[in-house]
Amino acid sequence: MDILNLLLQGVSVSIIPANLLSCIIGVLIGTLVGVLPGIDTVSAIALLLPFSYGMDSTAALIMFAGIYYGSKYGGSTTSILINVPGEAASVVTCLDGYPMGQKGRAGAALAISAIGSFIAGTIGLIGLTLLAPPLAQAALAFGPPEYFSLALVGLILLSKLTGTSTLKSALMAVIGIILSTIGLDSLSGISRFTFGIDELDRGFDLSIIAMGLFGIGEILTAMTHADAKPDIPTVKFRDLYPTKEEWQRSITPMFRGGIVGFLVGLLPGPAATISSFISYGLEKRCSKHPEEFGHGAIEGVAGPESANNSAISATMIPLMSLGLPFCGATAILLSGFMIHGITPGPSLITERPELFWGLIASMYIGNVLLLIINLPLIGVFVQLLKTPLNILMPLVAVVTLTGAYSINNSIFDLIWVIFFGILGFLLQRVGFEPSPLIIGLVLGPELERGLTQGLIICNGDIWAFITRPLAATILSLGAIVILYNFVTWVTKLNNKRKELNVN
Amino acid sequence: MESKTVTTAKNYPDKPITLIVPFGVGGGTDLVARLLEKEAPTQLGQPLVIVNKPGGTGTIGWNEVAGSTPDGYTLGMTSIEVILQPLYGPTKYNYPTALDPLVQISELSMVMAIKADQPWKNLNDLIEYARQHPSAIKFGHAGIGGISHIAGETFAKSADIQLEQVPFQSAAESTASLLGGHVQVIVVTPASVKEHIKNGNVRVLAVAGEERLTDPIFTEIPTFKEYGLNVVCDNWYGIAAPKELPIEIKNKLANGFKEIINDPEFKRKMDTLGLKVKYLGPKDSEETWINATHGLTKIVQEAGIVEKIKAQKK
Repeated sequence: MDILNLLLQGVSVSIIPANLLSCIIGVLIGTLVGVLPGIDTVSAIALLLPFSYGMDSTAALIMFAGIYYGSKYGGSTTSILINVPGEAASVVTCLDGYPMGQKGRAGAALAISAIGSFIAGTIGLIGLTLLAPPLAQAALAFGPPEYFSLALVGLILLSKLTGTSTLKSALMAVIGIILSTIGLDSLSGISRFTFGIDELDRGFDLSIIAMGLFGIGEILTAMTHADAKPDIPTVKFRDLYPTKEEWQRSITPMFRGGIVGFLVGLLPGPAATISSFISYGLEKRCSKHPEEFGHGAIEGVAGPESANNSAISATMIPLMSLGLPFCGATAILLSGFMIHGITPGPSLITERPELFWGLIASMYIGNVLLLIINLPLIGVFVQLLKTPLNILMPLVAVVTLTGAYSINNSIFDLIWVIFFGILGFLLQRVGFEPSPLIIGLVLGPELERGLTQGLIICNGDIWAFITRPLAATILSLGAIVILYNFVTWVTKLNNKRKELNVN
Repeated sequence: MESKTVTTAKNYPDKPITLIVPFGVGGGTDLVARLLEKEAPTQLGQPLVIVNKPGGTGTIGWNEVAGSTPDGYTLGMTSIEVILQPLYGPTKYNYPTALDPLVQISELSMVMAIKADQPWKNLNDLIEYARQHPSAIKFGHAGIGGISHIAGETFAKSADIQLEQVPFQSAAESTASLLGGHVQVIVVTPASVKEHIKNGNVRVLAVAGEERLTDPIFTEIPTFKEYGLNVVCDNWYGIAAPKELPIEIKNKLANGFKEIINDPEFKRKMDTLGLKVKYLGPKDSEETWINATHGLTKIVQEAGIVEKIKAQKK
């Protein structure tokens, strides 16, 4: 009950008008950052840092945190409406969210994603409230061999998210891994596959490739039938929100996504993005109708959009209780803390309890605010789809290209967005799914780093990986799934053969 | 042409000044730049616009600074990597000669840290253990060829022991790996481990500076030099302009930044970031660059880091 008291104290801090106002401003900006493709959390917070100098430190941090978790609410909007992921963590929402929109269920997809975000965000917060210090310690037990094992198992399990051809999916995943090796190696600082082009040293930004493959690719596809009127059926008000059946199908994925996202969020790396992919893979496996995935299955929106929100709460754990930022967004939050004279770390909870608990309480409030902001917006967003394609698509192109430029202030990146746009268009034509490529791109660096660092730690002995209990557990789980898949595949093959023989 | 330069110098600055940060948002260099941003309008007469051009361990951003017109409207943040990068092979520009240092803002020695539950009470214990168990000790650093890597390799070389280096992407990651027990030793900035020392989880064995650190938490910790080992690895932050900046503009900028840096409020803010302000003007900065180039060239060659990186580049 001690924690409840502290939390109540936090609530009293967070409802001071100045702090509440900061919270509202933060989540509003966050929603905007999420909705607009290319403008990411990191640059938004960086841009606002100088404006916060005059603010009280608690208010400023409440605002920055608001931008951070708020951005994951809006991220799905453009994925669902125009197939352009607003945030890297919402790439996977394009897979089923966009097809849902095409079927006139955009409103339902948006509503489910907002409600899922709220439920999972709250699950994550409860975890953060109750378990922060012990979980932070537990996360430290994961070393490079464990990251390698996770990435390996992840790649195997996730590469075949959509589509029917295992070979095509695997090929795309491998291309993704290869693309991830371009640029400056993050460990050795050596340029790889850059052909002496300085700009390539930076490597490919995930957002650039995702915006190209999905966004520009979709624009090109739309151009091939430019005269077509938008085939969105006129949506009646009550159709804006999920049906009872859609609800029932979404509720379990939301909770599952919330838990998965929270666990993934504790570990270093782009947690929100990885968690959304893992949740998608999990939902497809758990679903009674996996064939619907990729064609507008609501579970494929509910799970991932929930997962990336609880991942956000979890990433706050290593930041606040160890002072260690495990991803880009928490790194800039750390800067925000530091500039305001606050050093997060093991002593933060005891030295500045009012700030720690005030911040956490504000996150509960912010989540409610986000739900209140987002639900009415759905009606507005769905109207957007009534815009004729010949007006909508050029606008999407402008938004996408502006967003792509703003990531690194680089013209060079624009060339790549367009290149990957054309690639995405062609790939779709020949039946390749772009999502395994994204997975390869996200997990490739984790895999490589884990292997390099792990091998050094284990004195070059790869078999030492399986003597580490955690790594061994992860790897054997992966092996069991593969074995299970293999056995079902063989059984299916046998059954088919028998049928043929009977015929 | 000449008269035009004179009038531009007279009116300078009549538009915002771009400050290129060649690293990502939220890193040490970025934080320092943003602290400067706050005071710039009053001291420089125009706002600073911070543009992050990350990638290539700073080289992408510095290439842009070195290639821009020397009119005082494009400046760049610098760090020790300005000296280090050209040592590993040809970069587009040789930064120590293509850039003109305006000021040095801060200087900080790296520290060597272990987990507090390790049996080694001081540096000699560690060296003794490493002698008996060659390659058993893994040391984590924030990137091959970076200053934390060089400090670790120089230590191993001068103590004549074998340490296995494990590269990480950032000080945060190497610190996490130390706390999790995956590596035994790390080299980091004092700020990265300060909270963990207070908490009793981490012990610092030595400081890689000419002198001990002044922060009360670190004053008891001896330097490598006190152990008779020549390991001096200081990181610093500064500001540089492209070469051939008109002298009037250079002076205006140098004076403006001097005012900002010597402001007690700026010092206090830097303190909370765990950074020590050490102002140097254009002349002294240039001297530091020249000395650092000489010193580090010798170190990286002796420690075999140049060979290591060149071997990987093949």
